[in-house]
Amino acid sequence: MAQEITIKVGFGGQFRELTVRIQDDDVKPWQPEDRLHLIGDSLPRVDAAAKVTGTAKYAYDQQPAGMIYGKILRSPHANADIVSIDTDKASRMPGVKAVLKVPDIFEDKSARYAGAEIAAVAAETEAQAEAALRAIEVEYDIKPHCVTVEDSRKEGAPQVGRGGQQNVARISPRMGRRGGGNGDSRLARQEAAVKEIIDQADVAVEGEFRTEVQTHAPLETHGGVCTWEDGRLIFWASSQATFGFRNEMTSNWSRVKAKECQVLSEYVGGGFGSKFSAGREGVLGALLSKEAGVPVHMMLNRSEEQLSAGNRPDSIQQMKMGVSKDGEILGTRIRSWGTPGTGTGGAGAHNDGIYNIGETDKIEYGVRTNTGGARAHRAPGWPQGAFALEQMMDMAAEGIGMDRVEFRKKNDDHPIRKVEYDIAKQRIGWDQKRPVKGPGIKRKGVGMASNLWFSAGGGGASALVRITKDGQVEVRNGSQDIGTGTRTVMGMVVAEELGLDLDQVTTRIGNTDDPKGPASGGSTTIGTVTPAARLAAHHAKRQLLEIVAERKGWIASELDLKDQEVYKVGEGSLNLNFKDACALMDDDAIEVLKGRPRRNYEGFSDTNAGVQAALVEVDEETGEVRVEKVVAVADAGKIINPMTSESQVRGGVIQGVSFALFERRVMDRQKGRMLNDDLENYKILGAADCPEIDVVLLDVYNGKSNTQVMGLGEPPIVATAAAVANAVSDALGVRIYDLPITPKKVLEAIAKRDAARGTSEKKGERL
Amino acid sequence: MQDHPEDNPPKEGVSRRSFLQGAGVAAAAAGISRLPAEALAEERAAADLKELGPGAGKITLNVNGGSKSASAPPSTTLLDFLRNDLGVTGPKRVCDRGSCGACTVLLDGQVVDSCSMLAVDAVGKEITTVEGIGTPDNLSHLQKAFIEKDALQCGFCTPGMVVTCTAMLKENPNPTRDEIRQGLSGNLCRCGTYQNIIEAVEHASRTGGK
Repeated sequence: MAQEITIKVGFGGQFRELTVRIQDDDVKPWQPEDRLHLIGDSLPRVDAAAKVTGTAKYAYDQQPAGMIYGKILRSPHANADIVSIDTDKASRMPGVKAVLKVPDIFEDKSARYAGAEIAAVAAETEAQAEAALRAIEVEYDIKPHCVTVEDSRKEGAPQVGRGGQQNVARISPRMGRRGGGNGDSRLARQEAAVKEIIDQADVAVEGEFRTEVQTHAPLETHGGVCTWEDGRLIFWASSQATFGFRNEMTSNWSRVKAKECQVLSEYVGGGFGSKFSAGREGVLGALLSKEAGVPVHMMLNRSEEQLSAGNRPDSIQQMKMGVSKDGEILGTRIRSWGTPGTGTGGAGAHNDGIYNIGETDKIEYGVRTNTGGARAHRAPGWPQGAFALEQMMDMAAEGIGMDRVEFRKKNDDHPIRKVEYDIAKQRIGWDQKRPVKGPGIKRKGVGMASNLWFSAGGGGASALVRITKDGQVEVRNGSQDIGTGTRTVMGMVVAEELGLDLDQVTTRIGNTDDPKGPASGGSTTIGTVTPAARLAAHHAKRQLLEIVAERKGWIASELDLKDQEVYKVGEGSLNLNFKDACALMDDDAIEVLKGRPRRNYEGFSDTNAGVQAALVEVDEETGEVRVEKVVAVADAGKIINPMTSESQVRGGVIQGVSFALFERRVMDRQKGRMLNDDLENYKILGAADCPEIDVVLLDVYNGKSNTQVMGLGEPPIVATAAAVANAVSDALGVRIYDLPITPKKVLEAIAKRDAARGTSEKKGERL
Repeated sequence: MQDHPEDNPPKEGVSRRSFLQGAGVAAAAAGISRLPAEALAEERAAADLKELGPGAGKITLNVNGGSKSASAPPSTTLLDFLRNDLGVTGPKRVCDRGSCGACTVLLDGQVVDSCSMLAVDAVGKEITTVEGIGTPDNLSHLQKAFIEKDALQCGFCTPGMVVTCTAMLKENPNPTRDEIRQGLSGNLCRCGTYQNIIEAVEHASRTGGK
C-alpha cells in the first residue's frame, strides 16, 4: 500500500519536483518552504549536562551490588597451539570465584596472535584476578610466525592459519564494465584489456602506496558489566549494536545461550566501528558471572584494547592509470594487499570509488598475519583507498598539465560534489600565492580530496512515542548514541512534529527492552531511527487531535500542533495549549509504536558527497608537517542539528589528520608482538596538533525518507589523509607514498628531491 | 599547607611515610624512588612505626568537600580508590599510565593523573573530581560553555577535560589559543572535540564567571 505525493528535492535553492510513492501511513518529507521551529537549529545535546558533570554512567561505571572483576589471560606467543591449561592453582587463589578455559568455550585450541584469549578468571578485586591469571599454567606448542604483510607473502612463510589455509587469498576480483564472473580467464582478459587501454593512453601514471594499521582506540575500552537475575542476563555493554549484542547472548549459535537478555548502553565511550560484537570478552564476562553467581565487571585494559579489539587493516596499493590529454581517465589497474589479522576478509581498499576511473582491472588480496583482528573502522577501506586514489588524481593532473581541481570535476558526476569543489577551493585559498618562509625552510601547500558515502539508512527501526494526560512526552528507541548525537536528534524530530521545545521531550535510548533499532554502522543510525520517531510522533499527534476534536466539536483534520498549542490549519491559534489538550484524554496516555518503511524512497541522491581541502606547512629542516587548516564541505541530507553535525565532521577530520601524520601499529617481527599497545607510543592527535577546521554543511532535501537525514560519522574521515598528503606534495614538490607522514619520511623525500634536481631539472618527480 | 602530610599525620589512614615503610622497595620504585630503601629501613627502625599492607586498611579522603572512607590495600591508586571503593566514577580509567588525562582530578587545586598516584598519598589533601566542579542543576560557568559549544561527543574524556580546563582558567583567566592548546596537551580525546573545547574555554574566559 502506498500513497503518491509530489515533493521538492535538491539543495542550495535549486529544487525540482518529483512525484514519489511513500508508505500509506507515512508523512511527507519536510519541504523547503516549511516553517520548522527546531529542525536546523544548533541545539545543545540533551545529554551534555550529564556528560560534563560526570553523572553520565557508562558500562565501565556500573557497580551493581556484589560486583566482582573479570580478567583475561592472553597468549604471549604470536603463533601457538594450546597443549594444556592448568587452572587448579588459580582457582584456589584468594578471592577467586570463577575460572574459565577459552578452548572449552570457543572450541579453538590455537593462539594465533600475541594477545589471543587463553583463560579468564573473576575475583573479588582486580588485583586478586590479576594474581590468579599469573597462577594459570599454560603449555604451548609454539610455531613460527609472521606479523607483516611482506613476511607473510614470502615463499615458505610460516602458515598463519590451520588446515589448508593459505596466507594470501584473493578477496575481490572486480570485473569492471566488461566483466562478470570470477573465472581466472576472465580476469586475465580484463587485465589485458585494461593494460592495452593504459598503454595507448596519452599519459600513464603509477605508484605504490602504503598505509599502516590504525587501531580504533575508543577511550572506553570494550566490555561491560553483567549479572543474571532468574535466568535473565542483564548486560551494561559498551556497544554500538545493542540488539546485535543481545543476539550474541541469546541466539542458538550463542556461546552463552541466555534465555533472555537485556542490553543497556545508555552512554558509550566511543566505538568507531569496533563495538558491533560482544566479542570474546562479552561472552567470557557473561559466563564468569553465571558461574560466580554475582555481577561481573569485565572491561579490557588499554593494552588488551590495542591488541585485540580491532583495527583498520594496513594496505599496499599498486595503481596505474591511463589518462587522455583532455583529462579523461580511460583505464585503471589496481592490485592491493592488506592484513586484517589471522583472517583475510575486510582488507580491501576503496581506491576505485568516488571518480569515474575508466575501465578497471582490480584485484585485492587479504593477507593473514599473526596479529590482532581487524574490525570495521570508520569508513572501512575508504581512507586508505582515498589516500592512494587521490594522489593518483594529482599525479595524473600534473602529468597532463591540468589544474588538479578541474581534473577531478572532469571525472566526477556527483551532483552535490560539483558544487562542493568550488566552496572548498575558495575557503582554503587555493589560488593564493604561498611564499616560502625563511630561506627555503618552511613551505606551504594545499591539497584536495573527496569522499563518498551511502547513509540514508534503511529498515529495521521502530520508535515508541508516549504522550501522557499530564502533557509529558517520551520517545524510545533501543539503539545507542555512541557520541554522534542520535539521542538529541531523535528528540528534536519528535519535538518538531509535536510543536514542542526539545526540553519537553524525554528521550530514552540504549535499552533493548525498547523498540528495535539498528547498529551504529555505515552512518545509518540517524537515517534509520529518525523516520520511525517522526512517524510515531505524527500518529500520536493525530490521535491526540482526534480526542481534542471530539471534545471540542472541532474537525480533527483541520487541526495541528504548533508553538505548544493546537491551531487550525490556515487560520491560527485555538487558544488551547498542549498541556490542556493532553488533559482532555480519558486514558492515562497515548502510545504509538511505528516502524520505519523498509526501503528508502526514490529521491535526489542515494549518496552523500563531500570535498576537503587541506593547507599544510612543512618545515624542510626538521621534516615536521603541520596541518594548519582543513576545509570540510559536507552534506548529509537534511541537517537536523548543524552544531552536532559539525562536531561529527570535525571529529572525522581530526582522526583523518591523526591517521595521516601519527598513527601506526608497530609490530616486533622477531617477537611477534605489538610494541605500542598503549596511548603514549601509539600516537593519536592531541590538541596541540589540531588544525583549524572549517566545516561547511550543505542542506539537501533528498526525499529518501520523511526526515531525509543521512548519517555523518564516516564520510568526513575518507578524504582527510589524502588531502593532507596532496598538500604535503604540493608544498615539497615531491610525493610521499607512505602513511604516516613522519618527519623521517619527509626528510628522505626532500633528500631524494634535491638529489634528483642536482642531476637534472626534470619536473615530473618520482621517488 | 598540606605539602608534607608526614609532618601533620591525619587521624586515620596512613601517611606517605608510613605507607612507604610498609610497602617497601617495590612501591617506592613505582612512585617515589628518590627515597632509597636503606634510608626507609633506618627511618622505620628509628620511628618504630608499624607496617601497613599488603592487606586492606581504612583510608579516608577529602573528596569534593566531604570526608569519605573505605578499606583498601595501600597499593590502591587514587583513581581506583575513587572509582571502585568510593563509587566516584567521574574520573575515567583509559590508559592507566598517565598519558591520556581522562582520570584528571585536582589535588589542592593542582591537576594530577589520579591513575598514577596512590590513594594514601592524597590523604589530607583536598580532592576535586568533575563531580565537585558542578552538578546538572548547578553547572559551573565552564561546564555551561562546554554544553553550549558542543565540546563533547561520546563524553568519556569530558570529565578529565572539564577538570583540566577548570584549573587552567584558575591559573590563567585569559589564556590565548596557543596557551589553551598547550594546557590541553595532557588530555586525549578520540572523537575529536579539541576545537570545540578550545572554543568553550575561550567562551568561558571571555564571559568570566566561576
